[in-house]
Amino acid sequence: MKIGLGTTREPKELRPRVFMVGGFFLLGLLVLAVNLYRLMVVRYEEFLALSVDNEFKDTRVRSTRGLIRDRRGEVLVDARPSLDVFITPAFCQRCVAEVIPRLQAMLAWDDEQLQHVVEMVKSARGPQRYQQIVVQVDLTRDEFDLVNAHRFQLPGVDLEAVPHRHYRSGAALAHVLGYMNEVTSDELAKLNGGPTLERPPYAMGDYTGRRGVERAYEQVLRGRDGWVKEVVNARGEVMRDANGNVLKRDEVPPQPGRNVILSIDARLQAEAEFAFPGTAGSIVVLDAKTGFVRAMVSRPSFDPNEMTGRVSPARLAALNKDPLQPMVFRAGAEHYSPGSTFKVITLLAALQSGAFTANSSVTCGGGYQLGSRRWRCHKESGHGLVHAHQAMQWSCDTYFYKVSDVIGIDAIASVGKSLGLGSVTSLGVAGEVPGVMPDTAYHNRVTPGGYTKGMALNTAIGQGDVNVTPLQLAVVYAAIGNGGRVYQPQVVERVETPEGEVVEQFGPRLVREIEMTPEQHAVLMDALKAVVNEPGGTAFRSRLADVTVAGKTGTAQVSRLGAVRLKKEQMSYWERDHAWFTAFAPAEDPEIAVVVLNEHGGHGGSDAAPAAMAVIKKYFELKRIDGEAFGLDYTPPKPAPAVKAPILVPPLAPPREPGGNGLAATPVQDTGAGIERDPNPEIASTPAPPLPDVAPERVAPDEPAAPPSEEGGR
Amino acid sequence: MELRVEPRATAHVPWVLVIGVLMTAAVGIYNLASASRPPSSPVWTSQLLYLGVGIALVVVIALVDYRLIQRATVPLYLLNIGALIALKWFGHTAKGAESWFVLGPFRVQPAEFMKLTMVLMLAKYFHDDDRPNQPAQGFLRLIPAGAISLIPIGLVLVQPDLGTALMMVFTAVTIILFSKPTLPVSIAFGLICAISFGVLWNDYVREQPEPRFTVLRHKLKKHQDARISGWLDPTSDLKGTGYHAMQSKIAVGSGGWGGKGWKEGTQTGLRYLPEQHTDFIFSVFAEEQGFGRCLMLLILYGVLLLGGLGVALNAKERYGAFVAIGICAMIFWQVFENIGMVTGLLPITGITLPLMSYGGSSMVSVMIGVGLLVNVSMRRQMFRA
Repeated sequence: MKIGLGTTREPKELRPRVFMVGGFFLLGLLVLAVNLYRLMVVRYEEFLALSVDNEFKDTRVRSTRGLIRDRRGEVLVDARPSLDVFITPAFCQRCVAEVIPRLQAMLAWDDEQLQHVVEMVKSARGPQRYQQIVVQVDLTRDEFDLVNAHRFQLPGVDLEAVPHRHYRSGAALAHVLGYMNEVTSDELAKLNGGPTLERPPYAMGDYTGRRGVERAYEQVLRGRDGWVKEVVNARGEVMRDANGNVLKRDEVPPQPGRNVILSIDARLQAEAEFAFPGTAGSIVVLDAKTGFVRAMVSRPSFDPNEMTGRVSPARLAALNKDPLQPMVFRAGAEHYSPGSTFKVITLLAALQSGAFTANSSVTCGGGYQLGSRRWRCHKESGHGLVHAHQAMQWSCDTYFYKVSDVIGIDAIASVGKSLGLGSVTSLGVAGEVPGVMPDTAYHNRVTPGGYTKGMALNTAIGQGDVNVTPLQLAVVYAAIGNGGRVYQPQVVERVETPEGEVVEQFGPRLVREIEMTPEQHAVLMDALKAVVNEPGGTAFRSRLADVTVAGKTGTAQVSRLGAVRLKKEQMSYWERDHAWFTAFAPAEDPEIAVVVLNEHGGHGGSDAAPAAMAVIKKYFELKRIDGEAFGLDYTPPKPAPAVKAPILVPPLAPPREPGGNGLAATPVQDTGAGIERDPNPEIASTPAPPLPDVAPERVAPDEPAAPPSEEGGR
Repeated sequence: MELRVEPRATAHVPWVLVIGVLMTAAVGIYNLASASRPPSSPVWTSQLLYLGVGIALVVVIALVDYRLIQRATVPLYLLNIGALIALKWFGHTAKGAESWFVLGPFRVQPAEFMKLTMVLMLAKYFHDDDRPNQPAQGFLRLIPAGAISLIPIGLVLVQPDLGTALMMVFTAVTIILFSKPTLPVSIAFGLICAISFGVLWNDYVREQPEPRFTVLRHKLKKHQDARISGWLDPTSDLKGTGYHAMQSKIAVGSGGWGGKGWKEGTQTGLRYLPEQHTDFIFSVFAEEQGFGRCLMLLILYGVLLLGGLGVALNAKERYGAFVAIGICAMIFWQVFENIGMVTGLLPITGITLPLMSYGGSSMVSVMIGVGLLVNVSMRRQMFRA
């Protein structure tokens, strides 16, 4: 086949254009080369850094949080495994259509929960699809087994045991231990100290301590998270080498948190929880010689296990609306009129003023006349001639009216303030209120019309504006007991490494030593001993057989007195008096100071003193047990002095009931080494206060103070 | 048809071009072996096969007298346009575009061949339209050339395959400008360029309050719009449209002078690059081989193109010269657009890098072009008067 040549003219005119095209092509390639130079040489560092960023991902390795133990090593707070279900959307095939409905059937989700899970799974985009999403926490063993048995039908679903903070004592000690929940974004910014940190200590979703020791010792307990620099691909998958090992560059191992050892004795705490008689209130037990807290009850309480990431908004709202305010730390963050327990300060002020001695006497005719007004004593018929000893023993109001009339409010206030009233005790692990220790300056500032003498009279018997927290009162009584040394109360005794090595040991912190002569001390001790140990003393019925306890009852009036005195049962709960009892023991050389506040409980002698006595009794019993178990130096406390008058009723002991609550859940055989405890204690209903089989007013008439309505207490 | 090669013809094999092509293809396979390392499937072996097929095609095409091809141009062109139209009914849809015929184990992309047949058709038109007394082309004489190029471009555009359509536009414009148009025509092209720039600037760069006045932007498909905005401002949406552009730039930039080493590229190994063995193959090369060897690769392309232009320079008649220019332009624009998009200079369009990217259609179409160049070069002695 022949092919015609067509036009065979040589296209010479095109030649220069070929050169032009060639030049253009070369120019194009030059542009590319220059651009490459710009990227690969000039901006090399920048892009190299970006590619390294791409390649490695910092993965956090969580540190284990430290434990909280009591002073004997018993674990109060640790971690338990929480069986959680996760979904990884990227690996979850036919997730919404099949997998989630299967899970729903197994775990009995309602539609709302189902909707929530579907939404979470669907909203995951990009690299998020490779991150696990928690869909349910705390599976029961049965649910776990069920899901686990079907795991091959559930692609992308993982079951993991995640460590979860566990408060073994349940609601007991909740205010002291605190609880944990997720950090907020504001806190995150603050804790991480600005957004610039490459490896911030906290991440979104981390838990942090709230309240109590968990919060105060957050940094100690938390430890420091470790990091692994892992190679990840564009999808966020961690790359492995041929042997299946994770490819990583460098590694910072996590530093486990330290253990915090409290000064609380769990056994004593259990007894205090058990013995607490009322609906609301507090028990504080301090070591009188060091200020360390041995037990601290605040009722009503909450369950920190619930508060730690397991509380529903509805439940939280209910807690906050509860009129009894279970979240309030009653030992320190709420103040009350101290009632007659304040009289010890008035008496000390009287002795220090020089105007009164132990032998000074006042005649009580059932009240005290000041100007045109009469201040009532709680005993309308009057106590007759009283000295300091009887005034305290019988809680005669008239004596203290007289004292304050003579020495004035400022003398009383200065003693009160030196003992720590009117300012926070700096317990350090919980919020506190300072309370009120009024003086003339205070009244001139706060009260309309300024200071009048009647206010001094009210203050002298612990009514009026004077307000104290149970913790403050415990510090006061500890100081009275130990001869005048005011200690800062402390809950944490030491910090240990997980291996048990002591990192930091806290010693007693002396705030100040008040001026108190041995004679004054002796008068106070004598009077306080009489309250418990002499017939007619307001706490005589609660005395202990083998320990001399010195103490003072108090019945703080909450609502204004009417013309007719009502009995406790005739008043509504909110109008009833607060029952106080403060004590230290043994009286000869006090070791512990105990304060019981039974809010709206009634009379100090019958509704607060038995609980304090139970705690004191337990304390010495434990001391004996520990002494026998560890061969410690133990001398039994001296028995109470022989009663000088015939006794009609035997000492009252609080009833022991099976069950109980919190730490008292199982009556522990105190061998001195027993650590075992019910892992899941529940708060049962508050045990009923002991009902005396004999009417209490026959024996120990307590002393509702009776300020007149005008200057009346709160 | 005679596959006879006169002994004189072998003397004119364009060795510069052939060696350039072979070297580039070798580099391409070497690079592909790295880009398709585990866990990807080792596609470089298939590429080796495609290269073999390509070389065979070059030989076969070189043996056919290209005047035969010149005669077959019109039927080939029409056939190809028919194939593009047939795609509407028989095409295989992938990634939102109907671009393939599935023929047994092979997938044929008519658009790849359309580029070639369009070049051939334009060459034929300019060959037939030779008027020695009227060397410059006016508007009227360019109307058929415009129609020849715009019909297939339009068909490719509606597939939709914006990248290939753009490549065809650039190739056609290069050929038309090469055909020595009159000054007004050149000015018109310049104006079109300026207007395009103006539209781009107005629609994508200029800051203006909403509602924005846009000339073209609101008419574009969403992914096309995203690509252009991702090109002009890649940092605006790093997780979305700008992601590929940014990751590709990171890969290229982190290569530095010496590169990270063969099979050592982290962006490649961790699959940060999209389409890393096809469209984004150059970023793999740049990351692992570094600036020095990138420069050498560009020089290699330069040698290849100069070899091709040498064919055009030595062509003894217009058809051959136009075919050579057209094929060179086709290769040049693909290289320019591909490397440009990988380095963030141009918007991302699905354009392969000739001889480097993995893919049978791409390899075959380039090799057919090379075969035509060899053919034209070998047969220039036939026209010696």
